[in-house]
Amino acid sequence: MSLNLLYSAREGIIGLKRARMATAITISTVTISLILLGIFMVLTLNVHRIVSNFRDQMALEVFIDNSLSSEEIRLLEDQITQEEGVAEVLFISKEEALERFREEFGDDPLELLGENPLPPSFQIKIQQAWQTPEGIEDVAKNIERIRGIDEVVYHQNLFRMLDRYSRIIIIVDIVLFSIVLLSAILLVSNTLRLTIYSQRKTIQIMELVGANQSFIRRPYLIQGILQAGVGGCIASLVVWGIWRGIEFRFPHLIEISPLLLLASVFLSLLLGFWGSLLGLKRFLNTT
Amino acid sequence: MIQLTEVWYWAGENQILSDINIHVKGGELLCIVGPSGAGKSTLLRLIHMEIFPTQGSVIVADYNAQMMTEKQIPFLRRKVGVVFQDFKLLEDRDVFENVAFALWATGVRRKKIKKRVFQVLAEVGLSHKRYTLIPELSGGEQQKVAIARALANEPFVLLADEPTGNLDAESTEEILELLKRINGRGMAILMTTHKEDLVKTLPARMLQIREGKIVG
Repeated sequence: MSLNLLYSAREGIIGLKRARMATAITISTVTISLILLGIFMVLTLNVHRIVSNFRDQMALEVFIDNSLSSEEIRLLEDQITQEEGVAEVLFISKEEALERFREEFGDDPLELLGENPLPPSFQIKIQQAWQTPEGIEDVAKNIERIRGIDEVVYHQNLFRMLDRYSRIIIIVDIVLFSIVLLSAILLVSNTLRLTIYSQRKTIQIMELVGANQSFIRRPYLIQGILQAGVGGCIASLVVWGIWRGIEFRFPHLIEISPLLLLASVFLSLLLGFWGSLLGLKRFLNTT
Repeated sequence: MIQLTEVWYWAGENQILSDINIHVKGGELLCIVGPSGAGKSTLLRLIHMEIFPTQGSVIVADYNAQMMTEKQIPFLRRKVGVVFQDFKLLEDRDVFENVAFALWATGVRRKKIKKRVFQVLAEVGLSHKRYTLIPELSGGEQQKVAIARALANEPFVLLADEPTGNLDAESTEEILELLKRINGRGMAILMTTHKEDLVKTLPARMLQIREGKIVG
């Protein structure tokens, strides 16, 4: 590290101590902005996770001819597995279907009818790329054409509703995220300007004595990055703390990725750099 | 060394300077005298290249205002020392740090900084107060710190904008004596003042400025 860079780092840190109030305001602003942004991101990601899980769990019920032998059923399973859009095929035998019926409804058809009327079936999960109303319809039609298939049942309306609401959630998400991010950038850059404004006399003197622009900028960029970095770390800790609190009361309701917390700190460093650069533009060449 | 030829300066619709022709030779002590608002400070700002002429030419050593790039300005300022009526010192730092600041800012090495700061502080007679904070100094002493800072980078000319404007009679005399001494060892000084009687005590060439024009 060159002497000049060491000097800039030292000046940057000393500058923070000198402008204590402005520093405290900047760190608080960064912290609050990033907590809001962090909470928003955690909620958004979890809403998407829940929607995605729900989609994954939606399956096609494929009822097959009651008279097929187990060998024919095995061949049928292979044929369905090779169909486009099929992710997973689960065979449910007549006995398993009866067991499920008993669990679900409490009645025993065997007692009532003297025989098991439930047909064997396949439960088919759909690949993610095909989880659209049109995609599912295509998969269902293709399977329906296979010999030995009696009927394909799925909740078409539910799929359509889920798809419509997912689109709305994504649009609302993008709009809200842009607003929150833009507010955070403006708030942070304006607050960093406050720190720089409080040291404008030093900048003026640097220009007077012949310091070049990069030398003048450096301590303030370091200050901006430090302030925003501290704010970012505090914000990440607070978001993590809130998540731990929720996790304690409602386990597995919300998931949080350590990457998200790291991204928050990285974002804060970028905010600090940009904010200081913008703030400096205003105060350079003012002598 | 410094050559202003047919310089005009307008700030928006206001004409601040008109048809200024000044030549400052090496080692010269030139005083520009005129009332407040006559354009004295504007003249110094043109030489320091904080502002540029609307018309005419300003040449300071090898630097021509018309061909100046943004990157060249710091290099010119290292060779043109400047002091002001309001000192422009960093009040939260001591004398040593204020003078050293000019050297740090221009990339001078640590060892050389210490040596140079001691030299200039000795020259202005403030070695004994090198670790005193600025607010604890008198006005005259603060101006001496400003002069020491201006001299730190070994400029070829010192611009002094009303350097005694905020000082009492005793401090004024001390500052003028110091400026005479600095000029005596060969450094050119261009000083502005509104007090004509001050200039009479100096071995200086005098120019009168009124309403942006040199009148005598």
